[in-house]
Amino acid sequence: MSPPVPPSRKTLLHLYAATLRASRGFSSYNFRNYFLARTKDAFRGIQNESDPAKLSSFYHAAVEELAVLKRSAIVNSLYGGWKLVVEKDKIERTRGVN
Amino acid sequence: MLSTLRRSTLYVAKRRALARATTSSVPRRTLVQPSGADRASIVDVPSTYQDDNLFSPRPDMLGFKLEAPRREGILKDKARPIYLDMQATTPVDPRVLDAMLPYMTDQYGNPHSRTHAYGWEADKAVEEARKARRTRLLCGMRSQYTFFFLFFEQNIADLIGADPKDIVFTSGATESNNMSIKGVARFNKEKKRHIITTQTEHKCVLDSCRKLQEEDFDVTYLGVQQNGVLDLQELEAAIRPDTSLVSVMSVNNETGVIQPIKEIGAIVRKHRGVYFHTDAAQAVGKIPLDVNEMNIDLMSISGHKIYGPKGIGAAYVRRRPRVRLEPILSGGGQERGLRSGTLPAALAVGMGEAARIAKIEMARDHATVQRLAQHLIDGLESRIDHVVRNGDVNGYPGCVNLSFAYVEGESLLMALKDIALSSGSACTSASLEPSYVLRALGAAEDMAHSSLRFGFGRFTTEAEVDFVVEKLVATVQKLRDMSPLWEMVQEGIDINAIDWAQH
Ligand SMILES: Cc1ncc(COP(=O)(O)O)c(C=O)c1O
Repeated sequence: MSPPVPPSRKTLLHLYAATLRASRGFSSYNFRNYFLARTKDAFRGIQNESDPAKLSSFYHAAVEELAVLKRSAIVNSLYGGWKLVVEKDKIERTRGVN
Repeated sequence: MLSTLRRSTLYVAKRRALARATTSSVPRRTLVQPSGADRASIVDVPSTYQDDNLFSPRPDMLGFKLEAPRREGILKDKARPIYLDMQATTPVDPRVLDAMLPYMTDQYGNPHSRTHAYGWEADKAVEEARKARRTRLLCGMRSQYTFFFLFFEQNIADLIGADPKDIVFTSGATESNNMSIKGVARFNKEKKRHIITTQTEHKCVLDSCRKLQEEDFDVTYLGVQQNGVLDLQELEAAIRPDTSLVSVMSVNNETGVIQPIKEIGAIVRKHRGVYFHTDAAQAVGKIPLDVNEMNIDLMSISGHKIYGPKGIGAAYVRRRPRVRLEPILSGGGQERGLRSGTLPAALAVGMGEAARIAKIEMARDHATVQRLAQHLIDGLESRIDHVVRNGDVNGYPGCVNLSFAYVEGESLLMALKDIALSSGSACTSASLEPSYVLRALGAAEDMAHSSLRFGFGRFTTEAEVDFVVEKLVATVQKLRDMSPLWEMVQEGIDINAIDWAQH
């Protein structure tokens, strides 16, 4: 078996940005915050990793998860999106209502 | 501003015209109902005019009133309460739903169908949920120090260290408990007629035992110590030659107390022919469990307590050495004949995925709930007096049961409308009886009455806990200010010394 080719730093950063974007796509407050925090933890956790095998397996797992998150965020925004009382202040009111 | 006003008056006029046109007895309806010029006059709405139909157009209406119910529009203005009742049920993790959706759409086969691809793919998915060892590499996190791990994809069996063939899918922990307790007792009823359990078990365990008592079984309900933990010596002393089953829950659903399962397992193992069942509905995926290390013979698991779907659970039934039980359901002989009936493939897949995620996230989840629990306790302790924590402080931190002295629990719940909580007596929330679990811990009646259970989980945030602390401090203070008891306490009168009958 040939050693796995580790992803470049640029590839990882791209994936990081894409995963953050997918996490922001959740309309439910709790899911959105959870996946944002989790993504940050995971990618910061491998920032200083140099083992190519670990980097490459992390990369593959993260790519798979990104696909899951993208789909989940769509489903969530279709059926979710109720505001919680903690985000009540942030509700944007459009002009003309009340 | 002016134009908005004028347009709104126009709308009212038009609506009235339309209403009149439709209510007058027109014999034949056509698509367009012209109204006479006399009705087209614009009237100003008087300032006292109150009508729900009065509305001002939003910029996105394009000049039309959209009659279709706009879900978002309605819900946007109604904020939902914060969810802190994770012991009752947990939200379905979006990743779990994603795994389930294929089996709710195109892959609808019956997993027991052996003759075609629809059945095979469903069967494969169900077996993977029971246990999958596809070597997928995943990243995991441990406490705040996120480092990076190789993980095998592991599902229900792996989560509890079991063999996948020992997992029986059921409808939930209630069914698993019924099946295990009644099943073992009835199978061994010729020789053994004694069962041991504790007073703090979930209702479904206690009621299963009560049912067995009606069938002339002997049941010992062990008490617990002040902190809610079982006394091991008492347990050992209670085991008799005709004992067939010991059932002790792993984590209590009201107090979060963790029982010494490993020690109990060791004691039960010493007595041949006695089986050990644990209701682990609140423990699986939250604390590490291993059926072999802990000598567990039967275990109940629930899907909806581990961020999976409702309506599915599992029973672990050991095969080596074999635990025999009498099935409750008779039928097609699915699930080793223990639980006949077609498996809900989508739910089983969801539970499997939930178990897989639970294993990966256990350390991170635990760190989260620990941090949140500490945050809540610190926040409350510094600002209100006479708050008592019920149950062992070393219990599962995702379940914090607090009693607020001199405040009535139900009033507190009513006042905290923005927080979804339950009082200690959660399972029988319709009754106003103080919780039997708290009374088993020796809590005074009034303290059992004034308890609230805070359940944190994977998705709870610190901002939510901050909000809860603020609300709670204000509400408790308000309720106490109204309470004559509180006034007497402030004056230094010992309430317990008052002879109420004199008055
Ligand atoms: C300890 C315990 N056992 C059993 C159950 C019942 O589980 P299910 O809803 O899956 O039947 C619950 C949940 O209410 C529980 O907390």
